[in-house]
Amino acid sequence: MVQERRILYEHLDVPDINTFDVFRQYDGYTRFEKAIAEYQPDDIAKMVMDSGLKGRGGAGFSTGLKWSFVPRDIKPCYLCCNADESEPGTFSNRYVLEKNPHLLIEGILICCYAMGIETTYVYIRGEFTLGKEMLDAAIKEAYEKGYLGKDIRGTGLNVDIYTHPGAGAYICGEETGLIESLEGKRGQPRNKPPFPAVEGVFGKPTVVQNVETLCNLPFIVGNGVEWYTQMGPTYADTRSDPPTPDPNTGTKLYCISGDVNEPGVYELDLGLTCSELIEVAGGLRGEEVKAVIPGGSSAPILTHYELDTRLDFTSLTLAKSMLGSGGIIVMNETRNIVDCLLNIMKFYAHESCGQCTPCRWGTPWVRDIVQRIADGNGRKSTMTRPKFGVAENGRWGDTGETEEIYEDLDLLESVANNIANVDTMTWNTICVFGIAVSWPAVSYMRKFRPEFEAAIREGELVTLPVAEATVPPEENYAYQQRFVPKEFADL
Amino acid sequence: MAFVKLNDLEIEVEDGTNVVEAARQHGIEVPHYCYHPGLSRPANCRMCLVEPHVFFPPAGAIVPDRQLATGCTTVLRTAPPDRKLDGKYDFIVYTDSPRVKKARADILEFLLVHHPLDCPVCDQAGECDLQDYSHRHGHDKSRYLEVKNVPPKKDLGPDVLLYATRCVVCTRCIRFADEVSGTGELGLIHRGSHDEIDIPRSHEGVPLQVLDNKLAGNVVDICPVGALISKDFLFKSRPWFLEKANSVCSGCSVGCNITVEYKADGLYRIKPRFHEDINQHWMCDDGRLGYHYVNSDDRLQLPLKRVDDELTPTHWADALAVITENLSEVETEDIVVIGSAQGTNEDNYVLQQFAHDVLKTTQLGLFGQLPGEEHKFPQFTIEADKNPNAAGARTILGSANGNVVLEGEALWEKVSEAKVVYLVSGGPERPLEDAEKAALKHVDFLIVQDVLPSEVTQLADVVLPGTTFAEKDGTFTNSTGWVQRIRKTIDPPGEARVDWEITQQLAKQLGGEMNYHFAGEIALAIAENVPEYADATHQKIGDAGIKLADSDQ
Ligand SMILES: Cc1cc2nc3c(=O)[nH]c(=O)nc-3n(C[C@H](O)[C@H](O)[C@H](O)COP(=O)(O)O)c2cc1C
Ligand code: SF4
Ligand code: SF4
Ligand code: SF4
Ligand code: FES
Repeated sequence: MVQERRILYEHLDVPDINTFDVFRQYDGYTRFEKAIAEYQPDDIAKMVMDSGLKGRGGAGFSTGLKWSFVPRDIKPCYLCCNADESEPGTFSNRYVLEKNPHLLIEGILICCYAMGIETTYVYIRGEFTLGKEMLDAAIKEAYEKGYLGKDIRGTGLNVDIYTHPGAGAYICGEETGLIESLEGKRGQPRNKPPFPAVEGVFGKPTVVQNVETLCNLPFIVGNGVEWYTQMGPTYADTRSDPPTPDPNTGTKLYCISGDVNEPGVYELDLGLTCSELIEVAGGLRGEEVKAVIPGGSSAPILTHYELDTRLDFTSLTLAKSMLGSGGIIVMNETRNIVDCLLNIMKFYAHESCGQCTPCRWGTPWVRDIVQRIADGNGRKSTMTRPKFGVAENGRWGDTGETEEIYEDLDLLESVANNIANVDTMTWNTICVFGIAVSWPAVSYMRKFRPEFEAAIREGELVTLPVAEATVPPEENYAYQQRFVPKEFADL
Repeated sequence: MAFVKLNDLEIEVEDGTNVVEAARQHGIEVPHYCYHPGLSRPANCRMCLVEPHVFFPPAGAIVPDRQLATGCTTVLRTAPPDRKLDGKYDFIVYTDSPRVKKARADILEFLLVHHPLDCPVCDQAGECDLQDYSHRHGHDKSRYLEVKNVPPKKDLGPDVLLYATRCVVCTRCIRFADEVSGTGELGLIHRGSHDEIDIPRSHEGVPLQVLDNKLAGNVVDICPVGALISKDFLFKSRPWFLEKANSVCSGCSVGCNITVEYKADGLYRIKPRFHEDINQHWMCDDGRLGYHYVNSDDRLQLPLKRVDDELTPTHWADALAVITENLSEVETEDIVVIGSAQGTNEDNYVLQQFAHDVLKTTQLGLFGQLPGEEHKFPQFTIEADKNPNAAGARTILGSANGNVVLEGEALWEKVSEAKVVYLVSGGPERPLEDAEKAALKHVDFLIVQDVLPSEVTQLADVVLPGTTFAEKDGTFTNSTGWVQRIRKTIDPPGEARVDWEITQQLAKQLGGEMNYHFAGEIALAIAENVPEYADATHQKIGDAGIKLADSDQ
């Protein structure tokens, strides 16, 4: 049985850990002190690079690499801590803010030291009133104790932290939407490039980092890179010759919800399989797993055939899904996938910032099509057409069979792909919100097509038994193209 | 200069040009909505997607880039020698690849899902980017079966209506109000597919600010669809029925380049025309909406003469006879000839020639609209001098030997001592100030040439019906020394005549030797006799105008 490995969450439940004194008893701020006493800023940046830490907010981009893009000669440079945590199914940042806010402050201090940053903005989801209250109190205390403000601990280091509440828009979690919102404008993502690392808050270089990412820093500095890289797999990136290491190191705060017996946040090494995670969360509630959303609602869904997928950045990407925010939603045999997609599409249609054409008008369109199917008004043609697929000769082509034409499923797929194309992994939108819309839409529909067809055929939502609802692996586009990475050490 | 492969063409473009403009320079259309050369570039409509080709090291070849790029923000620049593509190109981009064509059609499909398709009753039809691009780049049918959003029609300001259903949310109008006029009245309300352009309103919907800045009309021009509509033009005409002429605004001394759109029965609207150094893409609402006096029913159509203290219509021969009679009775020093800052350089040249050569007087004056207010905006200024040609008239009137051109107090002092005054006015109705009125009352015989009955014509003994900027050819010189052409659009009303023709007729009547046939001929005479204007022939001026050499001093 897999055990939790609590590092970020180790002291989460210690009474009063949110106060400076108790936090201090549990090594609080010693890692920061170690950083400034023993390392130069560049050493810290190098440690972060070597640790293989990848951003925990959604994109999974190497933190060290991101830091290396920041021009060192332009000042001021800002740090934005992304505490907007709005992805449905995700709730791990929230506990850090509410229970152990000093840990975040320590992470921020280390980042600021490494990057020569004097000003940090923490953009907190508006609904997190308690989290903001606790963080504000902790920041106040840190100022009083001399860990924030001017000339911190006599080192000449200056760091200020400001907290800023969001106003309820999901899109303000996207880093440039966040920056616009922070600057007092409408929360609309910017065109990239320029990336925030070069031109961010108030046009200055800005490091945007998720709460969880920053909370990893004290442990990397405190326990060393070697200790850190032992956790989680390091794969071989075979796109380059010779293969380069692709680290998925550290622990991840997995938020497990849905049909499991003990939902909650579990801190586990990266690289566990989906089945293992369900076990950790007290096992499945119900008879069988029907589907798993592996990385927040924007991630493409996994079928029960894909439960052996390892839940880390690389494996999920190669399985045509993503780890995203680490919000895992488990669904058992009672769940209807059409209904589930409708729920998610309602969310995205409501949250599109409306700036760019495909997303503004495509997302509600997708929602409406799914709604129509769920209402029993989906369209099916009376005609049939030749079925394309893997033909007898083993190649893609006419299989000689015919298939029924479900017009609305074709339409759904086409409209979603016109926002962001699932197969070519390209998007016509300004930000990747478009992907968060089209990837679920297309993956749910393709992987659970029988359930969609049933809804259209029967004129009402029909929840099929798992085996019938799921397309078999050989017809599952993602399963077909899935690539299971090898560990670097095994090469 | 960047050397670019654009589709099958090899072109050279100035560094910093975007793909949309580079293509336009070579007659290739890259459809676009949010991009406007005079505004910032949010790249939000996604209509201008193009396909850059890049070098892909693993393949060792030039391949289509993974993602399409927005042509409006893709800027072409000279690449360093080691980064050239194919050893020579600074950039390779396709605007007509199958992928681009599909993306365009798909974006257009999205743009139309909530659109009411009400072209038959839409003012923009015929000059609508949504219509044109759909026709050229779109799908032929709609796949949208769901309910359309129907946001309300809104009154945004004195001249601007919003048909929100037609809006494509390109935000050009918002950016105009933020960047060019700096007045910021416009913004988006709601979110996502419910995005709506609006002015600030209270919760009850009462406007807190309206779109009433003096540049507001420009948002109608830049709106690529029929969402923002000018009340002045609403339902007046289909645009394809309108004739167009390139001209210059006569509203102030800025000299904005305009297109006058007209039919035989009058002017219908005025739109700005791009001039890099003068008005860029814009014009003000004073100029835009100030044309109505041209169409006025009150326009002077026949000469008038005073009979029993009453101005009564007469015919030209009679009016000219009365004038000749009075002019031949006075001494030269008792005559003052006053040109108009509303008139063209040609009008004023003939006038001064008449004064100098025929009447043998050197006493000239300059008359025009009363000064107004200057309005400064971040990227535009409306000038206080409400005449289009004060600078030109001043130079031209004073161009002959010994001519003195009086203005203001000095002029009115001279007028009050004169026996006969020939005053050319023009332009919108001009009220008189007390001193002016008093001076003009002193005059024994006052000849006024104007286009509308006004306080000036009331004092006249003979009124001659002249023409507005819309009814004649000629040139204006703006405050920064640009000489630019205006063009005849409609015929003058009734018996009204072009101003220089009237003056020439008078001259002939008094034995003068003047025989110009058209304005361009006068411009040649000006070029010959007025040194600054040596280059200012109509041919050389063309549509771009020319700047006088020493006008900056
Ligand atoms: C639509 C959208 C929503 C996002 N929401 C969040 C969020 O709520 N919290 C977060 O940390 N990152 C979010 N991200 C990811 C951020 O853009 C960004 O990648 C992240 O904050 C970078 O920090 P990291 O490298 O530490 O993960 C979102 C991205 C997108 C496209
Ligand atoms: S993709 Fe959607 S959320 Fe992102 S900028 Fe465009 S409209 Fe806004
Ligand atoms: S009203 Fe016109 S200019 Fe303004 S956003 Fe809509 S389409 Fe664009
Ligand atoms: S600024 Fe002057 S010249 Fe330009 S449009 Fe206005 S009135 Fe006409
Ligand atoms: S014109 Fe380029 S995105 Fe709108």
